[in-house]
Amino acid sequence: MSDAARAFARRTLADSRVRTLSFAAFFAVIAAVNVVGYRKTYPTVADRIRFAVGFGANKSIRLFYGVPHDLLSVGGYAAWRAGGSLSIAAAVWGVLAAVRAMRAEEDAGRQELVLAGAIGRSGAFGAMLVAIATGGVALWLAMFVGLVAARLPAGGSAFLALAVVSVVPVFVGVGAVASQVAPTRRLALGIGSGAVALAFVLRVVADTSSGLEALRWATPLGWVEELRAFASPRPAVLLLPLAAATALLVAARAIAMRRDVGSGLFHAHDSAPPRDRLLGSPTAQALRGELGILAAWVLGIAGFAFILGVISNSISPADIPASLQQQLEKLGLSSITTPSGYLSFTFLFFVFAIALFACSQAAATRREEAEQLLETLLALPVGRRRWLAGRIVLAAGASCVLALLAGVCAWAGAAAEGADVALGGMVGAGANALPASLLFLGIGMLAFAAVPRATAAVAYGLASLAFVWELFGAIVGAPSWTLNLSPFHHIGLVPAQPFRPAAAAVMLAVAAASAVAALAVFERRDLTGP
Amino acid sequence: MDDAAIRTEGLTKRYGDTLALDGLELDVRSGEVYGFLGPNGAGKTTTIRLLLGLHKPTAGRAFLFGVDAWRDPVLAHRRAAYVAGEPFLWPALTGEETLVYLARLRGSTDAAYRDVLVDRFQLDTDKRVRALSKGNRQKVQLVAAFATRADLLLLDEPTAGLDPLMEVAFRATVLEAKERGQTVFLSSHILSEVEALCDRVGILRRGRLVDQGTLDELRHLSAQAIEVTFEGPAPELPPLAGVHVDRAGPQALRFEVTGSVGPLLEALAPHRVVALTSREPSLEEIFLHHYDAADGRV
Repeated sequence: MSDAARAFARRTLADSRVRTLSFAAFFAVIAAVNVVGYRKTYPTVADRIRFAVGFGANKSIRLFYGVPHDLLSVGGYAAWRAGGSLSIAAAVWGVLAAVRAMRAEEDAGRQELVLAGAIGRSGAFGAMLVAIATGGVALWLAMFVGLVAARLPAGGSAFLALAVVSVVPVFVGVGAVASQVAPTRRLALGIGSGAVALAFVLRVVADTSSGLEALRWATPLGWVEELRAFASPRPAVLLLPLAAATALLVAARAIAMRRDVGSGLFHAHDSAPPRDRLLGSPTAQALRGELGILAAWVLGIAGFAFILGVISNSISPADIPASLQQQLEKLGLSSITTPSGYLSFTFLFFVFAIALFACSQAAATRREEAEQLLETLLALPVGRRRWLAGRIVLAAGASCVLALLAGVCAWAGAAAEGADVALGGMVGAGANALPASLLFLGIGMLAFAAVPRATAAVAYGLASLAFVWELFGAIVGAPSWTLNLSPFHHIGLVPAQPFRPAAAAVMLAVAAASAVAALAVFERRDLTGP
Repeated sequence: MDDAAIRTEGLTKRYGDTLALDGLELDVRSGEVYGFLGPNGAGKTTTIRLLLGLHKPTAGRAFLFGVDAWRDPVLAHRRAAYVAGEPFLWPALTGEETLVYLARLRGSTDAAYRDVLVDRFQLDTDKRVRALSKGNRQKVQLVAAFATRADLLLLDEPTAGLDPLMEVAFRATVLEAKERGQTVFLSSHILSEVEALCDRVGILRRGRLVDQGTLDELRHLSAQAIEVTFEGPAPELPPLAGVHVDRAGPQALRFEVTGSVGPLLEALAPHRVVALTSREPSLEEIFLHHYDAADGRV
């Protein structure tokens, strides 16, 4: 590698260090927590057998973690739980890393500067891959350390970490191709996230529908399951991600060598007849700008909710032996054995997803300022308060649409299969996602007002931390007052569990107070550049 | 009613340890074209951000037509239009859509004059902003700002990126605005532009206004340049207060004189002078004089 390429690779690596280190910490913690939690919760072989019999067959759990191959050993459990969830995180990281390096810099106009220097396209492409690969190795190492720290054998831990990280090169390839094809960072991210969502849905369908198990071979997330770490490892399956990643990266490189710098393979239309719609106010214009993103969220949420609705019909009490009811009671999942109960539980996923949507709106609000469009806007007779209030209302409104849509689509999916699920109950399940979503919207907007440059980190960070804590806090035996810190801990999963009005009211009150504080604080600060 | 278009009182801005603006006192009268000069980093853009209420003054206040720009920015902006040095516009909107959007946000615009300006600046309004060069994006901003016929135009290096033809169009447009009685605050690096357009000029250095006045006043206060050619080799002259000497050739000296030229003429009297030329300093020389002083080179 030339000096220039080395310098560029270091720059690329440094650019993404905060994100990569956050993901690495997340990998290490999740890996260790699952192992420790399993030993603690199921200390005896008898406990483990009961657990395996019940959960091995339970389709709702498979939704999140995939198919277990061995629930009697600590390693097998870790491979299932940590492997199933972290492989999704690894896919997301791969897309983000590739788009950040290969499209975002170019979108911002900085790549021209790099390529005008002593580095060619081929060298730059190679240097970016080296930087991304370094990040991937960091993820592998973090997970390995997390497993070994929880006293799992080194060899098996290394293989499990490798299995999880095997999706990284594939999704880096996806992100790389998307970055070559799409002319903007947003579109590239959209294509990449769409691919992750598709891979996830394929895994869900393969894992939960009888007769469709073969679909597991169609998704990189399924390959992780088929690597069967700690159960009966099959290293040969690693050839699949290797081949897929190679094909994608070769294609991406070939396009990168041919296309114009600063544009994608597909050109955006540079000229258009004027359309006056949604140009009446900053809020209308923000909606116009966010329409594409909103459409993607609507499609994703609606599609996934519909699929869950369809799957819910295959849930029956027969899946879970009576002896396990007590165990489920302990986890608050006693009514999971009916389609409606199953959907109630899975709606925790939508609560989190719609909270993340709210975070993305706070981040988009900050981006409008970082790109200095806000300076153009506020130099006009446009008030700060009106502008920010408009963005908050827009985000809250879109959250409502997504939440209700999730409920209605889950009902529609279930109804299509003839399952016994009430529309009212599912609309309630959707609406139940709103307090937490608005809470994180309020916090995100307050972060925007008070610490603008950290908006995305604060919003996404707090929401993810709270969710992970809710999923794993109890398993590691954390004291109950710490569990209570997570807003997700206070959500009654309607209709199976009773709605918790007090908790919802507190969340909405904090959300409203944060939004008001955000308006007040934002009026008192300097506009802050990138 | 305040007849000053822009007035600042001890306007000060500190960013962390950096004092970007230090007690600025500005008074721009209604209807005048005011040139705002200063080297990079002198605080010109900071001044404009404070004038627009985008940043909060550390001390002091800024008024547009008597309205406090920080406390009531929306009211202050109703009579002001702004052209930023770096054109930040919505990449997905076309030029036409951008003009429509900006006009709606402002509340009113002169559509007929807008069309005149679109023609004059040869703007292709069907193109999306992301496909426009920097100069063309700058034109979108200029057309939008001038078409509003706002009472005050705040222009931050508005011609950076424009070609010479467009520079001519820009000057014509500023003069039209002046004829209509609009006030123009022109922050610029292009001294010929300021010299051609501005009634009064202020020079900013390290966050302080170091000089202000009409061009004639500035010339008067500044050094005169006098070049003297001698019959033989140029003599050594005794040091004189207010006179700076440079060698201009084997037989010639150049003097920069601040204040009276009397002492210099007395000092020259014993020598055989063949030619003596004197001229008023250009704005560039005035500017460079202050600029050099900032670097300790004078």
